[in-house]
Amino acid sequence: MTHAPTRKHPLARPRRIAVIAGHAFTQLVRMKVFYFLAIFALIAIASNFFDLPQHEGPEAMGAKGLDILRLIKSWSLGAMTLFSVVFGIVSTALLLPKDVEDRTLYTILAKPVPRIDYLIGKLGGVLLLLAVSLGLMDLLMTGMLHIRMNIVLEVQKAMADSYGWDQAARDSLTRDTLLQGPTWSLQGAVAAVFLRSAVMAAVALLISTFSSSTLFTAVVSFLVYFIGHFQGDVLGGGDSGQSAMARYLGQAVAMVFPDFQLFNVIDAVIQGKMMEIAQFGKLVWAALYYIGVYVFGSWFVFSDKEF
Amino acid sequence: MNRPLKYCLLAAGLLAAGGLRATWEQPMTREFRAAGLLSSPVGIDTRDRIGQTSSAVALGGLRTLVATFLNIRSFTYFSEKRWGDVADTYDLIVDLAPNTIQYWDMGSWHMAYNAAGDYRTNSDLPAARRREAWQEWIKRGEAFLRRGIRNNPDDWQLPAALGRICSAPDKLREYPEAVEAFRASADTGKALPYVRRLQLYSLARCSGREAEALEMARGMYASPRNRTTTMVAILFALEQKVSPSTNPTARAIELFEGDKAAYDGLSLYWLRENERFPVDGVASALKGLETKFAIPEAKSIFRKIGRRNEGPEDWFKSDTELFKEELSDRLGIPSRKK
Repeated sequence: MTHAPTRKHPLARPRRIAVIAGHAFTQLVRMKVFYFLAIFALIAIASNFFDLPQHEGPEAMGAKGLDILRLIKSWSLGAMTLFSVVFGIVSTALLLPKDVEDRTLYTILAKPVPRIDYLIGKLGGVLLLLAVSLGLMDLLMTGMLHIRMNIVLEVQKAMADSYGWDQAARDSLTRDTLLQGPTWSLQGAVAAVFLRSAVMAAVALLISTFSSSTLFTAVVSFLVYFIGHFQGDVLGGGDSGQSAMARYLGQAVAMVFPDFQLFNVIDAVIQGKMMEIAQFGKLVWAALYYIGVYVFGSWFVFSDKEF
Repeated sequence: MNRPLKYCLLAAGLLAAGGLRATWEQPMTREFRAAGLLSSPVGIDTRDRIGQTSSAVALGGLRTLVATFLNIRSFTYFSEKRWGDVADTYDLIVDLAPNTIQYWDMGSWHMAYNAAGDYRTNSDLPAARRREAWQEWIKRGEAFLRRGIRNNPDDWQLPAALGRICSAPDKLREYPEAVEAFRASADTGKALPYVRRLQLYSLARCSGREAEALEMARGMYASPRNRTTTMVAILFALEQKVSPSTNPTARAIELFEGDKAAYDGLSLYWLRENERFPVDGVASALKGLETKFAIPEAKSIFRKIGRRNEGPEDWFKSDTELFKEELSDRLGIPSRKK
């Protein structure tokens, strides 16, 4: 199948990609995927109101409140990670086989649509779905966190009054509490969750271009996801006692698969660390590099694939 | 292009892209680790101990979530007084979330305070074994804290917690160690003001460092914010030790800014015998104040019993020793106060 050059207008290509992305997004929304938000809402609300057993040391004044804030972040970001990775993989794995099954693929490729545009459009649809769902979850988490943080601050104020704390002590505790609340760094962590799932979607796209089964694509993608979290061990030399052959093989695996440890900055943000804009920029660069490589690989396989 | 050749080219391309990314990715990982944004990879040992399921979850980028669940699980062990399990669980928790200060603080508190306290009062064990277990758990809590400090060198709370363990009357009583710990905490510039005072309290109890402590106490006294009862009483006792005044009562009133405040403050200070603060001149000042207020002998502070029996030297005494002491008290033999 060949394609005639169609670049009549400078915006023709982005528009074409946007149309494919919009169609893919609509296709996924029709699968009623947003029902999962009800589960997330339940988790977020439960983590806010359940009084789980907490340790409270004699010196940990106000720490109980901070612990609850950390718990809300931990649960929410954990749920976001799970949902977004599952969505990223499964929805990407579904798209190509579904287009083949519905025969829409033939209609699209019969038109002067470059295959790379088709792939980018499909991936764009998945990323749009991920962005919308993560945005909604983020909204819920931030709201819950904001409400709970204000409650914690009120309790701490009453405690500081009863102990007769001076302003320096009050300021210090408030500073610690605000760090556990809805910060810009936390938004950076949500963005990191998005970036990681976007990379996973790109990986799934690559696998789906040479796989004919949705299940195979999904399973292999999940394996890649877990392998991606072993990267630090492999590049760090691995286990002692490994043969040279095993080490080289490990390093080759590490080079082919993405290193997801970079995106674990989410853990540090949950613990109250601040991520600087420059560091976030580097994370975005890493994700774009991965997505670029895997999309290019997908196009390379898909460019002359016969259906 | 035939399919095998295509896949070979794809693999070569991915390898080349991987090699290229190593040039920026490894420095980025190092930078993120240095900034505390990334923890070290989860070790094989940790993976084995948290089990396959949790290990998979932790490796799936959810380390803090696993740490949160383990923290909840450790509460059950704490409730059931399974101290070994509590310690093991906290070892795992800090492997997964080494930068969460609260986990280090809680873990050491469970070991040095709860486990040690539980063994101290365990009537099923003979005194020698109770003492051994008590000491061992305090040491474990201390070691855990020191590990936390090494992992979080910028934090102020963990050195302060170490200082408390080192200086507490029912713990280590290693005052020079406590001074260093409180100093390290205060020097971070993030600690609450009380930490600097705690440094002084420990320094005042270091034998041979009275002049240094006095200088520090005078410096702190200059700020009204620091004039807590203990701090002023320590300043008074140190002054009396280094250069005794002819009229300690007058000096006490001057420092406490009032005779009633001086009597109340020094009385409380006098009763805290087990904390081993310097008490030079305190008895003289109190006697002078009692004369001034015409306090009857029966209500004298010297008739009140301090917390003498709340120190480690008393907890593990044999029944014979305790009987002898009780007999001495009944016969009215004076206490060992200076």
